Amino acid sequence: MHVDLPELPDVGLHVFGAALPRSRPSATAGLPDVEVSVHGVAQAPGRLAAYDRLCGFSLRDLVPPTWLHVLAFPLQTWLMARADFPFPRAGIRHVSNEMTLLHPVVVTDRVDISVHWAGVRPHRRGVVFDVVSEVSVEGQPVWRGLSTYLSPGGRVPGEPAAPLRLEIPDAAVSQQWRLPADLGRRYAAVSGDANPIHLHPLTARAFGLPRPIIHGMWTHARALAALGGVLPQRYGVRVQFAKPLMLPGRAGFAATSDAGGSRFAVLNPGGAPHLVGELRPL
Amino acid sequence: MVSDRDGRQAVIVGGNRTPFVKAGTTFAEASTQDLLTAALDGLVARFGLAGRTVDEVAAGAVLKHSRDFNLTREAVLGSALSPHTPAVDLQQACGTGLETVVYVANKIRLGQADTAIAGGVDSASDAPIVVTERLRRALLAARRARTPVQRAMAFVGLGPADLAPVPPAVAEARTGLSMGESQALTTTRWAITREAQDELALASHRNLAAAWDRGFFDDLVTPYLGVTRDGTLRPDTSAERLAALAPVFGRGPGATMTAGNSTPLTDGAALVLVAERSRAAELGWPALARVVDAQVAASDYVTGREDLLLAPVRALPVLLERTGLTLGDFDLVEVHEAFAATVLATLEGWRREGLGDLDRARLNVNGSSLAAGHPFAATGARIVASLAKMLAERGTGSLGLVSICAAGGQGVVAILEGM
Amino acid sequence: MAGRSFLERIYATSVGHGLARRAGLADPPVLLRGRVRPAGPIGLGTVTGGVLAERTLDVLGLVGTGPLRDEPDQQTRDADGRVRPPAYHARLGALVIDATGVRTIADLEPVRATLRPAMRGMEKSGRVIVVADDASAVEGLEARAVAQALDGIVRTVGKELRGGSTANLVTCGAGVGPEDLASTLSFLLDGRSAFVDGQVIRVRPRKAGDSPDDAYDPARPLSGRVVAVTGAARGIGAAIAHTMSRDGATVICVDVPQAGESLARVANTVGGSALQLDITVPDAGRRIAAHVVGRHGIDTRLWAIVHNAGITRDRLLANLDESRWSQVLRVNLAAQIAINAVLLDPAIPGGLAEPGRIVGIASTSGVAGNRGQANYAASKAGVMGLVRAMSEQLRDRPVTANAVAPGFIETDMTAAIPFVQREVFRRSNSLSQGGRPVDVAETIAWLCDPASGGIDGQVVRVCGQNLVGA
Repeated sequence: MHVDLPELPDVGLHVFGAALPRSRPSATAGLPDVEVSVHGVAQAPGRLAAYDRLCGFSLRDLVPPTWLHVLAFPLQTWLMARADFPFPRAGIRHVSNEMTLLHPVVVTDRVDISVHWAGVRPHRRGVVFDVVSEVSVEGQPVWRGLSTYLSPGGRVPGEPAAPLRLEIPDAAVSQQWRLPADLGRRYAAVSGDANPIHLHPLTARAFGLPRPIIHGMWTHARALAALGGVLPQRYGVRVQFAKPLMLPGRAGFAATSDAGGSRFAVLNPGGAPHLVGELRPL
Repeated sequence: MVSDRDGRQAVIVGGNRTPFVKAGTTFAEASTQDLLTAALDGLVARFGLAGRTVDEVAAGAVLKHSRDFNLTREAVLGSALSPHTPAVDLQQACGTGLETVVYVANKIRLGQADTAIAGGVDSASDAPIVVTERLRRALLAARRARTPVQRAMAFVGLGPADLAPVPPAVAEARTGLSMGESQALTTTRWAITREAQDELALASHRNLAAAWDRGFFDDLVTPYLGVTRDGTLRPDTSAERLAALAPVFGRGPGATMTAGNSTPLTDGAALVLVAERSRAAELGWPALARVVDAQVAASDYVTGREDLLLAPVRALPVLLERTGLTLGDFDLVEVHEAFAATVLATLEGWRREGLGDLDRARLNVNGSSLAAGHPFAATGARIVASLAKMLAERGTGSLGLVSICAAGGQGVVAILEGM
Repeated sequence: MAGRSFLERIYATSVGHGLARRAGLADPPVLLRGRVRPAGPIGLGTVTGGVLAERTLDVLGLVGTGPLRDEPDQQTRDADGRVRPPAYHARLGALVIDATGVRTIADLEPVRATLRPAMRGMEKSGRVIVVADDASAVEGLEARAVAQALDGIVRTVGKELRGGSTANLVTCGAGVGPEDLASTLSFLLDGRSAFVDGQVIRVRPRKAGDSPDDAYDPARPLSGRVVAVTGAARGIGAAIAHTMSRDGATVICVDVPQAGESLARVANTVGGSALQLDITVPDAGRRIAAHVVGRHGIDTRLWAIVHNAGITRDRLLANLDESRWSQVLRVNLAAQIAINAVLLDPAIPGGLAEPGRIVGIASTSGVAGNRGQANYAASKAGVMGLVRAMSEQLRDRPVTANAVAPGFIETDMTAAIPFVQREVFRRSNSLSQGGRPVDVAETIAWLCDPASGGIDGQVVRVCGQNLVGA
């Protein structure tokens, strides 16, 4: 089924629905064949500026690829809020993300965004499923993202595949980040991802976390910004999210680069990873 | 005239700026660092400097947040320049852009640098908001406190008024007068008419629009955030429209200064590439114009005896005396249009100093700040880049004069010579 | 890819994909790209004992091995008693057939015998290259007919080969030597020619003064040279800038001022410089030349100009007004004629060097016409006429003028067309896929190679042997 929405849906409305218990279809049949699109979305320079600032990018005509994920996110949420979505939304974790910037996107481009389910697989701690988001400008595909989420405790037939782990770069920590207590609220404001686990100690505690944790996609964006200088014109980048990063908190950033691209990681003071990633020019 | 060490000359190679737009509009969300980095990357692209170093980047901003203490170096690190490029922040109010050019030109002439970038940026939209002095002191005390009680005590005695944020004022610290109010005093004192001001403003818009139309800025401006031309430019304005505007500065029937003949608060960044002449030739770069000499001066405006924005009237005689030139020797003269009345008073001041009348056909021939806008620290580099290109078009030996007035009663003048 | 069609979405599902595969819409092969040769050995066959191909491989530091031939003493019989051609144990990376000297119909039989075992014996992205005499260089009715016959053979080989392998014919004019042929053979052998398939490339002796200098490095052929690319801010233009920079060139990236930071970004990532310029202004050529000397010194001249800037203003002729008509012709054709005229003036500092290269971008729309694109097809066919005419005009100067005609290139403006039409496009060429901007860029870089002086006045299609206008 294909759904064309007139504009990006308001994510906030769906957040409250997340905690409500309701009956769900079984996941064994896979994910529903639904694709949702929005055409001609104008990018708000003000919001981009706030996003860039929060994530450490400088405000340029060319937008960071992680920003395009932010634009696609309301459609992901829209898919998950549907009655045919087979998993409880509370507890879903973003475990990895891949994106490809096929073509530079500038802030004045009007973008068409489309999101659909891609697959579902068993995982040793439940079920993982993929969402594909695609952005095009004037009919030309410019960006493609694959977000992989874990629904803990869920079940689908099959054996879990051996987890693929990206390699932590063999480099000393070169940057220290201080993450203020309100970072989750600020990122929620610009990204629209107002999951309570990111917002406040009280809301986080309601979900069994001692403190709020920062959004994985903030950490991802911050790491991309930290690579700094001149990123390639076209590239693919993938990250795996490991330990949650509690707020307020500190994290270190380490990276190595060569002609084939960059490897990077966001690490806790003990050297355990919050995020590991790699970037390759196309 | 200042002699160059070992015959070294500092030449303007080219420039780049963002379009300038009225504060609070398209660039409202861009920080000064964003703007400066964008201008820098455009310059780097124009001259193929990606991954290379220049010996120094000097730039500044008038409205500057404390986190931007290393603004220029941060912009370098965010740009495509090699991270081995050093940078310095300089500031002399609206004189900043021109002073950075003088600073790097002097280094080049002394042999301390061969290549450099100079300029400035300002964003009235990104101006730092400050807390009240009492709250600031309380916060500092709380930081020093060792116990929660001490911390709480630090805030005792603060009233609601102390909690309101304090926006920056474009006002003189010592007179409390805004720039426009100060200029209004000058305008009255020098009897500058409304008609003369509007006429100058109209010429500025017409000249700038014509320059844009013939592609003069194609190699001087890199569009940013979808803006391709200066936002304050009104190509279709007319004497009638300007005459219809109500005065905004000054009081009573003598009030002549309007939004049409004053510069608006503006966002933008501008830079020029400067190099030692023979080094430029080695690198294959053009030498548009050489920096001949410069002079800064200050006026005693606090007592009211002199005018806030007329320090160039003091600076130019010194410069002409030293160089042996006269006002009539200059083919092109760029007088920064803080207000139309400032320019007119400056010209009158020069006349009274015995420097003679300036041929108005040589003044701001491609428009100036009234039409382009005036991001304080960026204006100097905008003018230098444009003037250098105009002088290069005129040919070797053509002479250009730049005059910029600055807050604090200061003024900078500089001479360029076409190569 | 919002608004994907019904069929497209079915195709994207695993079930639909499987069905499509069974229906013959197999996943397209992954093409070998870049300066990488197929891994297997190069088979080198000759028909009448010609040595041009062998000597050319020698120039490239390559050695061919004797290929299998489908001759009676080599044949085997299978379990059912059928005669089988000899089979390669190790797959061939490439098969080069030296068909120079082929004059008779009987001479074609050894070509068949050499091709037959290879058809099932090539590795993925393998290469079949036939080197022959140009029809203009042979005399006699049968000889000229046979020269054309080779064309038919090679185009068919291109269509029958699978796995991303390509077949191309190189025809040599009188007097062509190994040095004239080397850059072309090298290009056709490796991954740079991934999307050039089923084409005939005519090589002629390089003009006097058009030889690489001593510093020439085939791995970085454009080292120390300045090239200009128009329309460089995005798409194919950006890919051209990247590829030429990889080949050692310093790239002047030209695009309209409105391209803004996109252009600056391309220039900064390739370590080149940006020139903001509307190529339709009267002094565009002079501004390019001035930029050359203003960045690289008064004595520097431009090694190559690549006229990539182009626009579309599609309308059926019934709806095509004067403005859409003239805009397209102005940007796509008139501007480059005017710019070339300036750059070819030896008196203008920063103009084109000698030797030097001019490359235009044509289009299969220009070859075959395209509904709704009368203006675009006019401009692109015009580019083809232009480079042919220029090569005649430049007969006595060591400057070559060529064009590439891209077929269906992914991420091109053409991606706007609906899914089914796009799939048909993709499937209607021999490689079952669209090309990439880099494929066009690689072809242009080869034409700009200092050793490519033997290619002049040609239009090289980068289309994966598309049916359109073949």
